[in-house]
Amino acid sequence: MTYFDELKRSMTFLAQDPRTIFIGQAVAAAGTAMTNTLKDVPRDRLIELPVAEEMQMGMTTGMALTGLVPVSIFPRWNFLLCAISQLVNHLDKVQVMSNNGYKTKAIIRTGIGSQRPLHPQHQHVGDYTEALRAMCSTIEVIRLEEPSDIFPAYERALLRDDGCSTILVEYGDYYGEK
Amino acid sequence: MTKEELIAFEEEIAALFNTGNIRAPVHLYFGNEEQMIGVFRTIRSQDWVFCSWRSHYQCLLKGVPKELVREEIVAGRSISLCFPEHRIYSSAIVGGVLPIAVGAAMSIQRRGEDSKVYCFLGEMTAETGIAHEAIKYSRNHRLPIHFIVEDNAKSVCTDTREAWNQPRLSFEGVADEYVSYYRYETKYPHAGAGVRVQF
Repeated sequence: MTYFDELKRSMTFLAQDPRTIFIGQAVAAAGTAMTNTLKDVPRDRLIELPVAEEMQMGMTTGMALTGLVPVSIFPRWNFLLCAISQLVNHLDKVQVMSNNGYKTKAIIRTGIGSQRPLHPQHQHVGDYTEALRAMCSTIEVIRLEEPSDIFPAYERALLRDDGCSTILVEYGDYYGEK
Repeated sequence: MTKEELIAFEEEIAALFNTGNIRAPVHLYFGNEEQMIGVFRTIRSQDWVFCSWRSHYQCLLKGVPKELVREEIVAGRSISLCFPEHRIYSSAIVGGVLPIAVGAAMSIQRRGEDSKVYCFLGEMTAETGIAHEAIKYSRNHRLPIHFIVEDNAKSVCTDTREAWNQPRLSFEGVADEYVSYYRYETKYPHAGAGVRVQF
């Protein structure tokens, strides 16, 4: 299976769990390569949000707080940077702040912008994986290097029982290359 | 709890802080007891309450035993009191709880749960971009949430109206299905209890 096919398979798998909900920009509406991986997800599970990254990440935490497993989609690391306060100060800290009382398992999906055949320039190709690993104490950050990495990573993100969230980092170039 | 009981609790915390028995910041309420008791008349046990760093009254009025609230404050967790069993979440980050409250409300709406979200914010927070996003989104999607703007005219030590060069704030005087507003004057500083504590 190709990189893209594994992503599509993973999204379909996530959607089979009634707790999951997919939120972000270009989730229900067409717009990014990631949109195409959601084609088999039921329409009522896709929540199209305004361009409001901090609000999206806060809503992600709120949904997780109340029993859902949000799949929160930020097509580029650069866009996810706009939501860093919510990610680091809340989603990552909820368990500690609440003496392990609150469990907020969310799945954050982001990507490193494709550079081929067109280069989208500096604000679309950032990779902040190591920086986020350094800033987070409970969130796990995983780069999806190979097609075979993808399904097991999303499966673990959904089924993990430690209440922790996972950031999965995709490579835009690999959508058409692997 | 009564107004007198709320004030007595804060006085106890103030005394503990001023004698160096709480080795972390505390933010005390005063002067808004009647308004808060009024707000909590409609809040039920299954409802969610989101607050800022100043949240002692909300915890007590939501039904958290005062011994437990005191224990957490003395342990140094006053600025982010969280009580999952009582559905309370507080945060020390300005505006931090607002979008989280929106997400909780959307989750409640989608699952058809019989509960509602109440989100407290200060008047400076209410002027920020995230507040306007959160309130607008909630109104437009008819989410089960209510925002309570508490105006003590200050953000830390900054005069809110002077800082914004705006004599009337965005939600001042508003009282509708989604937003309530009240003004009060507290006798305490932003943090601490009025006495410099040297640890």
